[in-house]
Amino acid sequence: MTGSHASGMDTMTPEGLLALYGLKQEELEVLRTFGERVGDHLDEMISQWYGWLKTYPEFELFFSDPAVMERARGLQERAWEVFLSGKIDENYVRRRVEIGEVHARIGLPLSAYFAGINHFLIVIGEVAGQLGVPSEEWVQISSIITKLMHLETAVVVHTYNAVTEEALTAQAKSLMEMSTPVTEIWEGVLLLPIVGIIDSHRAQDIMNAGLTKIAETRARIFILDISGVGVVDTAVANYLINITRATRLMGCEATISGVSPAIAQTIVELGIDVGRMKTTATMQDALAGAFRRQGLEIRPATDGDVR
Amino acid sequence: MRIPITEDRDVARAVLEGNRRAAELGFDQVKQQKVSTAISELARNIIKYAGGKGAVIIRTVTESGREGLEVVATDRGPGIENVKEALEDHFSSSGTLGLGLPGVRRLMDEFSIRSEPGSGTTVTARIWA
Repeated sequence: MTGSHASGMDTMTPEGLLALYGLKQEELEVLRTFGERVGDHLDEMISQWYGWLKTYPEFELFFSDPAVMERARGLQERAWEVFLSGKIDENYVRRRVEIGEVHARIGLPLSAYFAGINHFLIVIGEVAGQLGVPSEEWVQISSIITKLMHLETAVVVHTYNAVTEEALTAQAKSLMEMSTPVTEIWEGVLLLPIVGIIDSHRAQDIMNAGLTKIAETRARIFILDISGVGVVDTAVANYLINITRATRLMGCEATISGVSPAIAQTIVELGIDVGRMKTTATMQDALAGAFRRQGLEIRPATDGDVR
Repeated sequence: MRIPITEDRDVARAVLEGNRRAAELGFDQVKQQKVSTAISELARNIIKYAGGKGAVIIRTVTESGREGLEVVATDRGPGIENVKEALEDHFSSSGTLGLGLPGVRRLMDEFSIRSEPGSGTTVTARIWA
């Protein structure tokens, strides 16, 4: 799992990142020399940083457990050490990916992460002042630190997003799996309301669920209502045509209901030939047609029928 | 707004963004549907033909006082050998309907395509309010 979120960003290699953020080896060397001078103060810097963190409004939410806090502090100390050593290699990138993963998993907002980064810059500036780093030298060092900090932030944010999106996709997928409820609404009549966007997986799910239900119920009519479908492009039309064909092979007739005026016009402009596909404007029309073909009719109840 | 297209869910994202923008511009239902469909078509092409190496850019454009929506679909795929053929109805290199690109051209008011075999394809389409 670790490191898997590094994929998808073309430049997620140490070399690619350094090039993208305009960091040269000489600069990393300058950072390393500075890092050595700061090294002795690292512990006090971290203490100061945590002093600030405790004032952060949501601190309690994330660090109520002292053991968690201790662990985080240890990891952070190492992260800062590596940062100040200017050693930007695969290990460095992997650790930053982990930081992004952890932050996303515990739900720490990115705004808190940015505030933390900002405070790190403040702390390091103060230490530089204490060490008496000449201002012209500090100008160079702080520009290097800023570039590296941006690089680091990019990796963390990219990972954070990837983790969050993964969770969203998983949610969407489980919703999708629940979204093909083919129901036998009357003897021999199946209904499937389709809502959302149809992609190839969804189309396959619909095909499978529909055909299975046809075999089970020996249904003669399968109504697919697309009034909740956002887009009918050529791919979706193709799926619908194929579902209709397969349905017919099983001795059942498919009707696509809920074709809105906008969808009808779009299909025509696309130039799609719906051929023998049966379509209706409303689900009501489809249902009425289905009952007719089953030799049934819906009529107002006479007094005698009402019980 | 630039939406990278690498997988199916990105298509949905691009479609939703296009639909939102079209609604903001006050496009009627039919026009909204056209925009969404064109975006869906172009974004799916990026996945199908360019292995998901591309993006859809959706922006509002103004020209001589009228407002419209511009959709740019750009990819770093293999490019199209024969653009003229690809714009003909029922020409398909993948066994599907072969109406995608010509369909987009009909749905939108303006359409242009630039393709370089080996380096990619960029389709720019506009629709006016």
